[in-house]
Amino acid sequence: MDPVAASEALHARVRAFVEGSMRGGAPEPFDALALDLARFQAAHVAPFARLLAARGVDLDTARSAEAIPAVPCDVLRLARVAAHPPELDAVVFRTSGTSRGALARGEHAMRTTATYSAAALAWGRAWLFPDRARMQVVVLAPTVAEAPDSSLGFMLDDFARALGGEATWHVVGGTLDVAGVARACARAREEGAPALVLGTSFAFVHLLDAAGTHDFALPEGSRVMQTGGFKGRSRVVAADELRRAIAAAFRVPEASVVAEYGMTELSSQLYEGTFARAGEHAGVYLAPPWMRVAAVDPVTLAARPLGEEGIARFVDLANVDSAVAIQTADRVRVHPPRGVESARVELLGRAPGAAPRGCSIAIDEMLGGAGAA
Amino acid sequence: MTESDEARRARVHAVLGAARRIASAHDPLGREARARLPDVTSLSREGVELALTEHLESEADDASIDALLAACGRAPRCHVVLSANVCVAAVRALALALATSPVVLVRPSRRDPVVAELLARALAESGELARAAGSVTLAPALDPAAGDEVHVYGRDETVAAIGASLPAGVVLRAHGAGFGVAVVGASSSLEGAAAALARDVVPFDQRGCLSPRIALVEGDPPRALRFAAALDGALAALGARVPRGGLNEDEHAAIAAYRATLEAVGVVHAGSGHIVGVDPSARALVLPPTGRVVHVVAASPAAASAMVAPLARFVTTLGADDDGSLVSALAHAAPPRAARGARGDAAPAAGRAGGPPQRIAEPSLAPRGLL
Repeated sequence: MDPVAASEALHARVRAFVEGSMRGGAPEPFDALALDLARFQAAHVAPFARLLAARGVDLDTARSAEAIPAVPCDVLRLARVAAHPPELDAVVFRTSGTSRGALARGEHAMRTTATYSAAALAWGRAWLFPDRARMQVVVLAPTVAEAPDSSLGFMLDDFARALGGEATWHVVGGTLDVAGVARACARAREEGAPALVLGTSFAFVHLLDAAGTHDFALPEGSRVMQTGGFKGRSRVVAADELRRAIAAAFRVPEASVVAEYGMTELSSQLYEGTFARAGEHAGVYLAPPWMRVAAVDPVTLAARPLGEEGIARFVDLANVDSAVAIQTADRVRVHPPRGVESARVELLGRAPGAAPRGCSIAIDEMLGGAGAA
Repeated sequence: MTESDEARRARVHAVLGAARRIASAHDPLGREARARLPDVTSLSREGVELALTEHLESEADDASIDALLAACGRAPRCHVVLSANVCVAAVRALALALATSPVVLVRPSRRDPVVAELLARALAESGELARAAGSVTLAPALDPAAGDEVHVYGRDETVAAIGASLPAGVVLRAHGAGFGVAVVGASSSLEGAAAALARDVVPFDQRGCLSPRIALVEGDPPRALRFAAALDGALAALGARVPRGGLNEDEHAAIAAYRATLEAVGVVHAGSGHIVGVDPSARALVLPPTGRVVHVVAASPAAASAMVAPLARFVTTLGADDDGSLVSALAHAAPPRAARGARGDAAPAAGRAGGPPQRIAEPSLAPRGLL
């Protein structure tokens, strides 16, 4: 089978897995699909093939997704990690140009975005808008046209289109239109229907800092999704403080302020469950059924038992044409699921890296201590 | 030459004399250094011996001292803050301070106070510094007044914090962190360049701010791969004589992450005490962790300049054994903060207190191997 046909078949299986698992039953075992994806990538993604060879991993005899070596995020910065040639790219998502500004940006090339969109929408709907088919959407981010290589912008655009209502985008030319946000909120109040506000943490900080006398109050039932770190783009605000401030500004309960965890190197996202499920706590992120998360030992990269701290290793079935297993430097604790999710994940910050004991510079210091997410 | 320059010169000589005592395994101070440093530095005993005998600066010719005196300012008092530095850096720090002022107050690193303490003791015992009207006092607190100089050795955040705390009129000289880049030119012998680079990587287990962590090899990918293999051999040979010291958990983790990345990107040579990673067709650079880890890439002059440019402000030195087109291009793209090919521990920058440290260019302090 030629690579594109093989890829198409795998995409179809993954989308079926996404749909099936959200309806209560995946059509096939996670491990079987993960290993088939890994075998496809071993044949067509050179960096992954090199990693397999270096580790001496034989995927033909593997029985569990745990056997798949995870590709470190940095690899997507240094090499093309894609099963197809550049001329078949439908889109290339790139990591932030700020947090890694001193270095090259990571690239996640996609031949098709159909599976990405299906996965993002399914899990976003579950935790952000399980109760609404249409909503007004207020986005504190640039449009896809302005930031075509932003995976976040692409996902927010998917959300806005899926919700079918009026969507307004309030970052233009790198500037947040605070008055525009206030006007969008006023429109929601006039219509008396809940709205969904989506944005990055630093955009919310800018909004709050520039709020002045603007009124951002939203109707009952509205909710807010915030994501990402600050990356040198605003002052740094503690997560609980920012949550309180956002809730106060939009007049929504704190439980309706939902944090998302996503990264360019992944095709799936994790969400706090505070809006959609009673008893969930802020700071605990729920992984979709088509993703496995493990806290691994930072030296041996071996999985640690549930509840123990380690760095996050993701097996993301939606990464069909790149790397199904991704190794990050984010410190996490992984807990058992309570429902449809595959795991509940506490984010503990980014692994600090080794602070050299001499006067040699540390990579984090060179990057200004910015987080990776 | 003025009388005051003679006094300044005598004070620098006093520091060199004190350093020679610490370098000597037969001197009580040298024995104490060898006993205490393995624990505080985590270097192996052989690594400490290498640092004390080959990298503790204890000799300088007149021209080098003239250059050092010309590079320094004058102040009624000079305060030195030592932190997060390689163990022998206190020698240069005291020499610079005593060239600046007869009255030097030193706040040693809490983690590694050994060499600063031993130097102060040696200076007090010899009387040479006192005869040159100088004094060195270990001071736990920093208390400068207008007109004084403060020399800070540490990370940017340390420098910024101290700079912000200083009263008006105090001159801040900041010696920040960084790393070195080695250049293997088109005409270089790969074996010779590998041996030379290994000799610069092993000291202090690569924790110096001049320690090379990236090697750019002019030519095609196979040449970079051959150089990496040669470097692997050179590091293994030198490591057999001077084993790497202990690494903490974070250092082990950083090395594991680098290794995993390079396994996917290129080729990894993993020795018992070192790692050489090769990215034969690099589109960007990765800065490897310390602990005898070298990142090797094949590069043309144009490509190397583009890759290094984003890192330029952190590059303290370019080490090269030829004057070919690659090193010329890099010297233009990333002019090193310290002397090209210099060895030691200085990344000078200076500014006046009352605002963020304003980095200004200073002349190189000394040629290779000297102050």
